[in-house]
Amino acid sequence: MNPEILQDLESFFPEIVLTLALLAVVLADIALPKLRTRATFLVAAVGLLAALCFTIPLFGAPEKALFYNMVALDRLAVFFKGFLVLASFLVLLAAPGSKELSGSHLGEFYALLLGVTLGMLLLASSVDMLMLYLSLEMVSLTSYIMVGYVRHDRQSNEASLKYILFGAVSTGSMLYGITLLFGLTGSTKMPAIREALSSGGASGGNGMTLLVATALILAGFGFKTAAVPFHFWCPDVYTGAPTPVTAFLSVAPKAAGFATLIRFFFSGLSDTTTSASQWSASGALNWTSLVIAVSIITMTLGNIAALRQDNLKRLLAYSSIAHAGYMLMGAAVLSREGVQSVLIYLITYLFMNLGAFLVVIEIFNQTNSFNVNDYRGLYRRSPFLTIAMTIFLLSLMGIPPFAGFFGKLFVFAAAVNHNLAWFAVIGALNSVIGVYYYARVIKAMIIEGGGEEGAGIKLTRKSQALVWIMLLPTVGMMLFWDRIQALTGRSWKFFVG
Amino acid sequence: MDPTTVAQVIFYFFAVLTVASAAIVVFSNSLIYSAFALLFTFFGVASLYVFLGADFLAATQLVIYVGGILILLLFGVMLTHKLYDLDLKTETYQFFPGFLVMAAVFLTLTGVISKTQWFSRGERPPNPTTSEIGRLFMKEYILPFEVASVFLLIALIGAAMIVRRRRS
Amino acid sequence: MIGLSHYLFVSAALFSLGVMGVLTRKNAVNVLMGIELILNSANINLVAFSKYSAASVDGQIFAVFVIIIAAAEAAVALAIVLSMYRIVKSVNLDQADTLKG
Repeated sequence: MNPEILQDLESFFPEIVLTLALLAVVLADIALPKLRTRATFLVAAVGLLAALCFTIPLFGAPEKALFYNMVALDRLAVFFKGFLVLASFLVLLAAPGSKELSGSHLGEFYALLLGVTLGMLLLASSVDMLMLYLSLEMVSLTSYIMVGYVRHDRQSNEASLKYILFGAVSTGSMLYGITLLFGLTGSTKMPAIREALSSGGASGGNGMTLLVATALILAGFGFKTAAVPFHFWCPDVYTGAPTPVTAFLSVAPKAAGFATLIRFFFSGLSDTTTSASQWSASGALNWTSLVIAVSIITMTLGNIAALRQDNLKRLLAYSSIAHAGYMLMGAAVLSREGVQSVLIYLITYLFMNLGAFLVVIEIFNQTNSFNVNDYRGLYRRSPFLTIAMTIFLLSLMGIPPFAGFFGKLFVFAAAVNHNLAWFAVIGALNSVIGVYYYARVIKAMIIEGGGEEGAGIKLTRKSQALVWIMLLPTVGMMLFWDRIQALTGRSWKFFVG
Repeated sequence: MDPTTVAQVIFYFFAVLTVASAAIVVFSNSLIYSAFALLFTFFGVASLYVFLGADFLAATQLVIYVGGILILLLFGVMLTHKLYDLDLKTETYQFFPGFLVMAAVFLTLTGVISKTQWFSRGERPPNPTTSEIGRLFMKEYILPFEVASVFLLIALIGAAMIVRRRRS
Repeated sequence: MIGLSHYLFVSAALFSLGVMGVLTRKNAVNVLMGIELILNSANINLVAFSKYSAASVDGQIFAVFVIIIAAAEAAVALAIVLSMYRIVKSVNLDQADTLKG
């Protein structure tokens, strides 16, 4: 084995740990028939925690490309590694408590969760188009399976079928776009692509080709982040999938999709002549306008469609589409501030969205329903859940002092600081639309009657603890504000090669 | 006869075979015809690989696509119909809008392709590729190679889990 | 003389046909066949560019990985189709409509 490969392995511990944990879960599932559920859960939990621990020292590591320029080790990658492992860990904790998953054996679920986490870590750090495609497919394929996990449930199966057919077409088209880019530049590595494009690869007739290639590649990214017009799978899949999987999908693969989007468009397609914290896209591509248009359509469509939803899962699905639109606002601004704003938004989004889904899971456990009408009078049945959900929804709305406000603040500020104030105004208007449908749920829970017939909802210790875990950052983020700003302020740097 | 002309004729034969059978896959009313036409498409693609000097890839294509994926698709076709339903007719959604989209896509792509100056570092001489590919798998492409193996493991576990008979 | 463009036209034709298959077919297995056409078209592109643009085997190696991924995807897709068939007794995509809200 080459000394370079051995050396690179030292920076690869999170991924190695995840792979070993995956194998260990599979083995434990087979070898310990009596203790299966406990053992697999523990192995998966330990694996994820260990991966998280190994990610922390990577923060200080020097920037470099690993394994012959396949994968980059830079601040952005390390940030996302930590983020994604944390997200998976939280979903792991939520999974056994869900009624939807209680009928199925969860050993494979934990293995799949570890697998998808591994794929996401690789996706967030890929700098080669082959590696990008491979890890994207790894994440997608595992997600398809997780969505269809409840095999006897018709909705779960339908969701899974729709997801895989839509996803395979999107990633297939993305692959075709990648091949066109390969033909234009002679290489699959992002730095080389950038070099070739800046030095005239995209001039003349090639400009059109670059546009077509980028449009096709955007199909794949749009699919992963559920941006319009590649969002069609999102409401159906989110509704049909078991809710812990929906919660996971709404945060983690979306974040990984954003990571690779930032990396691809900023380090693959930008000009080499620009300064360190500001980029301009290759001449033929009006990147900013394109992303602004997608962002506006996405957030507007998400918000408007959510207005009519009674099913909480569907409502949160459209809500997450809208949030992807806000995050795209940060991505449209081609600068350090833009990237930082996306990272901050993601941190806030992780806790408030997972929290909201957690409450939905708990309520389903007790009432077997996702319909907002069955949330009426929840205040009488469980004040704790009601207050928690209210806080999460207020945060999703963007109301201060909760975390969501800061996310939106930074994204809007990034737009304003780059002469896109009108864009920020549209975002703010969209937030106002958002208030309506979130408030509808809060109103049902607190003000409307109907909860007297139902029994009081008692939460297990474990569920209560989980809700607190999501609640604390949502409420307390303003206290740690400077820390978070510092963290993300250092994390935007990515390997340019 | 001039060898280049012979080569051209053979190329056109395989190219037409590939595209025509792909058309049958997409337009045929019978599922079985589609499946078997797909066989010819895969075979045609493999022959195009041979023309491009990709010997290892052509063999891989035949083994995996024809020997694996196509068999899997045929299983899928057979297992999802009642046995006495020998017709295996398939319906289609509105044909015309789909046809328009297809034409638009095709025209855009061909228009773009014909006008592009593709990057060129020269032409690769038709050397055998297997040892080169093997070497690269162990050096430059070692990470995707290893990741692909984990990927296949997960796909295996997942697919098996989905179709497993429920223990009552 | 057979050049790069010839191969690219063939792959463009396959891509378009694949897209057509995906958009118009109701049977899930048929849609899967369309997806395989799309993936094959991308592969032809990769190998053609490998020979004429990059002058190396990099494109071919990429194509090998695409084949690997396509195989795994087909396996999982068919598993899901079979699972769906067991419940609904049909793989007509018209029947997959309980999720509309």
